[in-house]
Amino acid sequence: MSDQPMTNFSESRFASSWSAATGSWLPAVILLLATIAAWEVVVRIFAISAFIIPAPSEIARSLVAQWATLMQATLVTAGEILFGFLVSVVVGIAIALVIVRFDWLGRALYPLVVLFQNVPKVALAPIFILWFGYGLAPKIGLILVIAFFPVTLSMLAGMQAVDRSLLSLMNSVGASQTQILFRIRVPHSLPNLMAGTKIAATLSVIGAIVGEFAGASDGLGYVIQFASTQLDTALVFAALLLVSVLGIAFYYAAEILERIVVPWAPKFSQA
Amino acid sequence: MRIEPIRAAGGRPAHIRHDDDLISAKGVSVVMARQLVLQNIDLAIPKGSFVSLIGPSGCGKSTLLKVLAGLVDPTSGSVSIAGLSPVEAARKRMIGLVFQDANLLPWKNAVDNASMLLGIADKSLSRAQLKARGQEMLELVGLGDSAHKRPHELSGGMRQRVAIARALALDPAVLLMDEPFGALDAITRDSMGQSLLEIWQRTGKTIVLVTHSIDEAIHLSRHVHVLGIKPGRITESLDIGLPYPRDLSVTEDPEFVRLTVQLRTMLRASHQPGGAS
Repeated sequence: MSDQPMTNFSESRFASSWSAATGSWLPAVILLLATIAAWEVVVRIFAISAFIIPAPSEIARSLVAQWATLMQATLVTAGEILFGFLVSVVVGIAIALVIVRFDWLGRALYPLVVLFQNVPKVALAPIFILWFGYGLAPKIGLILVIAFFPVTLSMLAGMQAVDRSLLSLMNSVGASQTQILFRIRVPHSLPNLMAGTKIAATLSVIGAIVGEFAGASDGLGYVIQFASTQLDTALVFAALLLVSVLGIAFYYAAEILERIVVPWAPKFSQA
Repeated sequence: MRIEPIRAAGGRPAHIRHDDDLISAKGVSVVMARQLVLQNIDLAIPKGSFVSLIGPSGCGKSTLLKVLAGLVDPTSGSVSIAGLSPVEAARKRMIGLVFQDANLLPWKNAVDNASMLLGIADKSLSRAQLKARGQEMLELVGLGDSAHKRPHELSGGMRQRVAIARALALDPAVLLMDEPFGALDAITRDSMGQSLLEIWQRTGKTIVLVTHSIDEAIHLSRHVHVLGIKPGRITESLDIGLPYPRDLSVTEDPEFVRLTVQLRTMLRASHQPGGAS
């Protein structure tokens, strides 16, 4: 390792990451546009029925025609995702803290949490509908059981990866376990936690849609189900597009949050 | 200049107990995982001294340092630091620790890292007092103008300087250092050693340094203890008579060269497993 200080290269790093980003996006954008064009052409040439595969133009038309309905459904689903995501993050963090702070409770809890991961949680949706009705609660519950785990697991990994000699330093000055937890382990776990949070954001979208499939009177999942019973496949695709947009939006929101919370994380600070 | 304790002919000065010994270990043995890691270590470290522990890998020199720091309990024998047990001494902030990895907190800047341990050891200090102390220590280690840099903006050598500042912030009587420059390149290592000598002379701390560098041990220390393997034990002790203050030109001194040869011979012998003594 050189003894030269790594001075602030943030400007040049930004510039290079910008060109790298556009450089890496451009082929993907071209491929996407080509795929849409090919899709349109194939559907028209072979006269594929719109209720099997609607042409992209058909989907766009449906999107415009049903705009108000779709926006209202998007808002409902976005609310479920956001609320469910926040609950998952809070509960996920709380479980991780309990496991690390209270040793015997952790040893009791951790295997159960891991075991619970083997339950196909999507299959819990009907039970949640049974217990909580058709409103917001079953969706939040479903998102929670699907999304808390990556939060707990990533935070645990970060809290347990603290260097032993750092713990020796803390012990030598008589630091309490609580001090070590909140001054060292928790901040040390934040980069991991933020990575887990991004996974939870993606899973929250899945949780909300599955919850709406199982029983709802509103939201994009409901629109997808309703439209497919009507054989309005173009509307199904339009709703699917909006679900994807929501997923991307939540993922990038989590990514921005990461940059705000842990600007010092290795992935940002090492050029 | 303080007067050197007179050593009995043939070495083994460790048994001699002086009133001005700050650290004394008597008959310290450590068994870990059914292995005898350290056997019957007797060690006396005078106050204000600079002592190096050198030996091959696996000789238990790091374990010995941990015993002195109160991080490992000896299986038998005892250690006293100014009459206290190592753990009591550590609680009274008498022990400063520096490891090979600086272990700075990446979310704190240099000055907050330097005062971090002090803040935990002494809860009565205000943030401003901690900052002032951290800044003072950074200046002592030559990083006064890097107070607001985060660890990733510092080089390996600079990070290690912050780690030394963090230990010194406790105002410990003893600085226990476990291969603190082991991960640095040769040039940085030399300048870090020189800085450490200057810090030692300005602060009058007692320093115990674990190293595997012969040059470093002779350049810096007043006494060198050689540890042998299987089991870990002190095989030889060597007084370094070169006058202080020393700088890097000391390495060209004929006496330095003679001591290097002598220490190398001792180290070679220490690689031979020894029987029960």
